[in-house]
Amino acid sequence: MSGTITFQGGTLVLYDVEDAPPPFQMIKGRPRCEAYHYPRLIEWIRETGIRDNVPRWQTLNLKMHDDRPAHDYQIAALDAWDKADRRGSIVLPTGSGKTFVAIHAIQRVGRSALVVAPTIDLLHQWYARLVNAFEIDVGVYYGGEKIVLPITVTTYHSAGDVIAAHGDAFKLIIFDEVHHLPAPSWGEAALMSPSPFRLGLTATYPEDHEQEGTRWRVEDLIGGIVFALKIDDLTGDTLAEYRTQRVRVDLTPDERKQYDDDYAIYAGYFRQHQLVKTHGKFWLNELMRRGSFDVDARAAHLSRQRIIALLAGCEGKLEALEKLLREYSDERCLIFTENNAVVYAIARKHLIPALTHETKAAERKHILEAFSAGEYHAVATSKVLNEGVDVPEAKIAIVLGGTSSAREYIQRLGRVLRKSGNREALLFEVIARDTIDVSRAQRRRPQNVQR
Amino acid sequence: MLTADLIRPRMKSRSKQIVIDWLPAEPMMIKTAETLITLLTAHIGKTRGEWDAALDATISTRVDYITVRGLAKVLEDAATFTPIALAVDPADVRRHVFGGGMVFERADLFHPKTRAQAIQAAVVHFDMPTEVVERALFADRGGEYLLAEVGQTWSPADLIGRYNLELARGVLYWSSQMRVELRDGYKDFWRYLKLFKLMFEASPLPKGGYHVMLEGAISPFVRQTTRYGRQFAAFLPALFLGERWSMQADIHLPGWTAEYKLDSKLPLKSHFRKSGLYDSALESDFAAEFEAKFGASKRDGWLLQREDEIILLGDTVMIPDFSVTHARDGRRCLIEIVGYWHPDYLRRKVEKVRAAGRRDLLLLVYEGVNLAQERLQDVPGEVLYFVKKPVMKDAIAAVERLAI
Repeated sequence: MSGTITFQGGTLVLYDVEDAPPPFQMIKGRPRCEAYHYPRLIEWIRETGIRDNVPRWQTLNLKMHDDRPAHDYQIAALDAWDKADRRGSIVLPTGSGKTFVAIHAIQRVGRSALVVAPTIDLLHQWYARLVNAFEIDVGVYYGGEKIVLPITVTTYHSAGDVIAAHGDAFKLIIFDEVHHLPAPSWGEAALMSPSPFRLGLTATYPEDHEQEGTRWRVEDLIGGIVFALKIDDLTGDTLAEYRTQRVRVDLTPDERKQYDDDYAIYAGYFRQHQLVKTHGKFWLNELMRRGSFDVDARAAHLSRQRIIALLAGCEGKLEALEKLLREYSDERCLIFTENNAVVYAIARKHLIPALTHETKAAERKHILEAFSAGEYHAVATSKVLNEGVDVPEAKIAIVLGGTSSAREYIQRLGRVLRKSGNREALLFEVIARDTIDVSRAQRRRPQNVQR
Repeated sequence: MLTADLIRPRMKSRSKQIVIDWLPAEPMMIKTAETLITLLTAHIGKTRGEWDAALDATISTRVDYITVRGLAKVLEDAATFTPIALAVDPADVRRHVFGGGMVFERADLFHPKTRAQAIQAAVVHFDMPTEVVERALFADRGGEYLLAEVGQTWSPADLIGRYNLELARGVLYWSSQMRVELRDGYKDFWRYLKLFKLMFEASPLPKGGYHVMLEGAISPFVRQTTRYGRQFAAFLPALFLGERWSMQADIHLPGWTAEYKLDSKLPLKSHFRKSGLYDSALESDFAAEFEAKFGASKRDGWLLQREDEIILLGDTVMIPDFSVTHARDGRRCLIEIVGYWHPDYLRRKVEKVRAAGRRDLLLLVYEGVNLAQERLQDVPGEVLYFVKKPVMKDAIAAVERLAI
């Protein structure tokens, strides 16, 4: 039989083939099916002599530059995955080197690979690890950058776009935190990929009942669990001792006046309309909603924004920061602020690198590595370092502001306080006296954190 | 295109139908539009950050801030912001300057280098003046880009009209499928369909025109996917190029599903370019000569129409240049002129004609073309070759033979 099979926007399309068996369906005049069926069709394609135009992946000659030896369980996991035709999930506890396993999987396969990560932070981390491991250019595809290379990292959010356009360019697809896959729009990406080799990584594989009623199961999309290691099989990292210190500053007379004026508007509205009582934790949404028809609500919202902007970069905080930086200039310091404007103001003032969502993957990698190596002593950042980013060398954290979520706080702490040596780490919280900073800082501090 | 947060508040649902809260061109809005246009124009040569701040100041406590932001977004999208021209990459400047270590304004015993000295070192290293070094430091940030041009001459009414078109588009972000009925403008419709990489399924309507269902490649397998919403939205202005059409889409928002309908009665203008009536002089000359000699005004004449029928070919279509219909007895045939071409273009064209299998299709092919004539031999219908222009006498004879 003649005829061809082609990848098209996440589907497989047959040209000049009559009587195509399921899973093909006649749609728009041609037999079509979702691309994830591809590996199961390869034999049929070969037998019927159809020309296979699907694979556009490349053979890569990858040299491993990460020469840390693999743990036994990591090798066992990879072997199990190999034996399962390079499909399925590896379940490993957090901190047990999932990325390391994935990098070795890519090297074993030696073909173009796409890595899908849940967040942009993690995408950046994958990017850095892959570049270091193979010392080649690695593509990144997300809102801020769109570069597709034989090894590319993307997010679940953008994966559908990459796969629709380039799904046939990757023989291996890796899903980090694969438990996200049952979500409707995220699973779609796996459905659209023709990649025969698939690897899922997670510490928390979804339970059966969690997958009930979802449109697809992880097993259908990438294969079952091939290897699992329980958390108590490993000894976790312990956190170093740390100490939190409050630094209180005053607003300047001008700032105080602006603050008081704005606070009067903001508080006045809240005295009249007790939004927290009526709307609980959605009070801010309600305030914004009312702002589209009620001038007072709009004014209250703007006052709140001005207060937050003022507190984020008030003079007293910047002076306190300068003092701390002078004092600890031999240590590695991380500076956290409420917004990007203050990050860039600090970066300009002290000529230190800024890390924000505007920072591109390559520069971000450079900054974090140079910080670890001691070339940079301080980095100013807003909210981008919030999750899963390791900066073990940091010994001093200076928080100039931030949202009051406890989770964020704990993670910030955890990052500065990762054990390295036995020196005590310090977290400075710089707050403005007699402002909402005080109560925000209170809320930020979870109960079980020692003082 | 507008962001979802600027669209969503202007969508209402009334008995399972999406209703857009259109922005009327009333005096107050005209004034707002005028203010924004003037403000943007005044920011030519200034940074995006300055424009953002000026916009915030203008909006101030207005409760219709979502509308004003929407209008401003339309202006921004048409405008061009460019980074300042520099001989060096800002990332290199940062690496150099930051590599020198943290500095303070005043030196002390442990920090002998001041900020001014650090910048001075970069001035020497890069051979650039101080202010250029300062600017270069973060020149690649979006907020530092300069407004180069506003892109088009806006009138307040244009801006409001375009804003409304953007609202009409934006609703489609949440759509899973679009169904269109169209009765003219086929060529532009399919041209843009292809451009925005949408798939379609078309069928003729009983009283002329076509029903076309639009979706993306994976749509038939994943119902209710809104993956292609942005493409539908991007495509929508193509519909407004036609004179008579209607559109329906299913909208899926968290918690509710609704229907969204638009049609050509809506007084919105497309900013997409409409293709000319004729693609080449060859076509317009043919039309003029045909009408003069055998047109509908003559006895036993033929009514010549431009691209009024499509030939459906599975996942593609062919739109012949002309149809001719006998004024008296209604016999009809299609004419396609193949003029100047590239071998690949011709190959595809021939394949399309073959696939069409229509016996009432006349192909007029320019002879100078190095196409081996035998390649066109198993084409249904008839093929006439010409050297300079089609020979009208032969063409009409072929039409008489082919028309059914």
